[in-house]
Amino acid sequence: MTTHAPVRVSHRAATAGVVAGSLLLLLLLALPIATLVLRSGLAGLGQLGVDAELRGALWLTAQTATLATLITVVLGTPLAYLLARDKLPAAPIVGALLDLPLLLPHPVAGMALLLAFGRASPAGVALAAFGLAVVGSRTGIVLAMLFVAAPLYVSAAREAIARVDPRYESVARTLGDSSVRAAWRVTRPLAGRGLLAAAVVMWARSVSEFGAIVILTYNPKVASVLSYDRFTGEGLDAALPVAAVLVILALVPLLVLRTLRASAVSGEPAR
Amino acid sequence: MIAVEGLGAHAGQFELRDVTFSLPAGAWGIVLGPAGAGKTTLLETIAGVRRAHSGRVTLRGADVTRLPAEQRGVGIVYQHAFLFPHLSVEANIAYGAHDRAYVADIARRLGAAPLMSRAVGALSGGERQMVALARALAPRPDILLLDEPLAAVDPRSRTRLRRELRGLQREQSLTVLHVTHDFGEAGTLGDLAILLEGGRLVQAAPPEALFRRPASAAAAEFLGAENVFAGIATPLDAGTEDEAGTMLFRAGSMSLVGLGESTTATHAVIRGEDVVLSPVRTGPSSARNALDGVVAEVVIHGALARVTIDIGDQPLVAAVTAGSVSELGLLPGSRVVATIKATAVHLC
Repeated sequence: MTTHAPVRVSHRAATAGVVAGSLLLLLLLALPIATLVLRSGLAGLGQLGVDAELRGALWLTAQTATLATLITVVLGTPLAYLLARDKLPAAPIVGALLDLPLLLPHPVAGMALLLAFGRASPAGVALAAFGLAVVGSRTGIVLAMLFVAAPLYVSAAREAIARVDPRYESVARTLGDSSVRAAWRVTRPLAGRGLLAAAVVMWARSVSEFGAIVILTYNPKVASVLSYDRFTGEGLDAALPVAAVLVILALVPLLVLRTLRASAVSGEPAR
Repeated sequence: MIAVEGLGAHAGQFELRDVTFSLPAGAWGIVLGPAGAGKTTLLETIAGVRRAHSGRVTLRGADVTRLPAEQRGVGIVYQHAFLFPHLSVEANIAYGAHDRAYVADIARRLGAAPLMSRAVGALSGGERQMVALARALAPRPDILLLDEPLAAVDPRSRTRLRRELRGLQREQSLTVLHVTHDFGEAGTLGDLAILLEGGRLVQAAPPEALFRRPASAAAAEFLGAENVFAGIATPLDAGTEDEAGTMLFRAGSMSLVGLGESTTATHAVIRGEDVVLSPVRTGPSSARNALDGVVAEVVIHGALARVTIDIGDQPLVAAVTAGSVSELGLLPGSRVVATIKATAVHLC
């Protein structure tokens, strides 16, 4: 018995250490958000009724984030499929290319976008010919959101598709489907919840984007830029209600995501 | 008709190499081999869902090696049914069908008719396989590839499904290639047995020939031959009136007369059921091998028994009925004579 006692004590100490460490981290994450919401949450929701600029910024944020997400779903899902099924010969390069925007500081991403799509750039000139201006426009907001958040969608969509056994498609192909039709009729619905979750993550990330957008398009203002604008122009008290509304809005996709994950079932159970 | 010639394909790190065989139209081929032998890869390459990196696949006399799966007219059923979980049973069966009446007909034949409105998640293992078979047959393919479809099915359903499958195969002249680990299935269903190991073809022959005359000692052991002896084969003395290929095989202190194609044979294979036991030597017999031994062990499995006899320094296993054990008084330590025909001693 005596030989086991030190082991038990050290086990208890380790458990206590793990619990304390976890609680400390959770406190660090929760404290600022809770303080913000408790102090200004109600004020922010109340301000929605009287502050037309705030309502406009939120509406613009929702519209541009939705558009950026839709464009990414259309263009990114086939890419995610090719990556998931190892059908891209240069997959490691493509993977690195997709990871890069996630690693860049977001103002740097904004500068890169400005260089590539600004008025003086060849791409900017070409877009201008179609009446599209990237700088200071909704297009710029969508582009910035897409640049920083699309990799999140592609990565999560790739995982969702990879979880669907490719033999479902094999069976569908022997039943007469082309590979594209089999992916559409079988893999898409089976990966559906995962793809939706990926889109929700991208949308939420787009809503919260600030660094890249502020470089490309200060005006019209999305909610994050409005919050920053009020902080620098009118002080913390003026910025807090806007910030609190953004936090409350962020909870919506978070809840959607949790619900999707809780009910996610991909593929046939192993037998 | 299914013919493959020098077929090679990759499945991750695994490689199927240089597989050649031909299965006539309307025949039932059995694919055997240990796990990782390449059985599923072979089926998938024939179906066209896996690309062949070398060789040729010929179906119905036409080269289809570069033809996509959807144009090959081949049905496939995996061990795990891979029913589409977002569709009902009926929608699964009708997925590739062109004729709604035939969907109902095939569902009825295979016993899936009462399940039509059910969700696939609510089906038992046997029901899933039943639906998967119906789904594969609904587009009326003339070639069916089966990857252990009955492995997870209860014995009663397995017998019924096997009977229905055999009936459908005969009625519709289906050419079937069937991966199985069940040697009983191989014996009862197969016209041709194909043995794979390590991605290579070991032997393709009628099941009886495959089990009686395996190409190698490893093949014999995989196929469940109870007795595989290592030794040296020599031609019998000149002047004897033996049939071609009769040789003397020495394994330790044991000598056997058997059949082989060359003196390079290094193993003798004897199936347990070909060993006849008697308490004493009987009179003249056509059997060329009569070996004196002592019973070492008797293991009874239901109606059958495996009796191990020490023949000098070699253990010989005989498969007999449990009734014979008591009739012959086979107890450990009792003396016994094991008689084996030369034709039952396969040298390889």
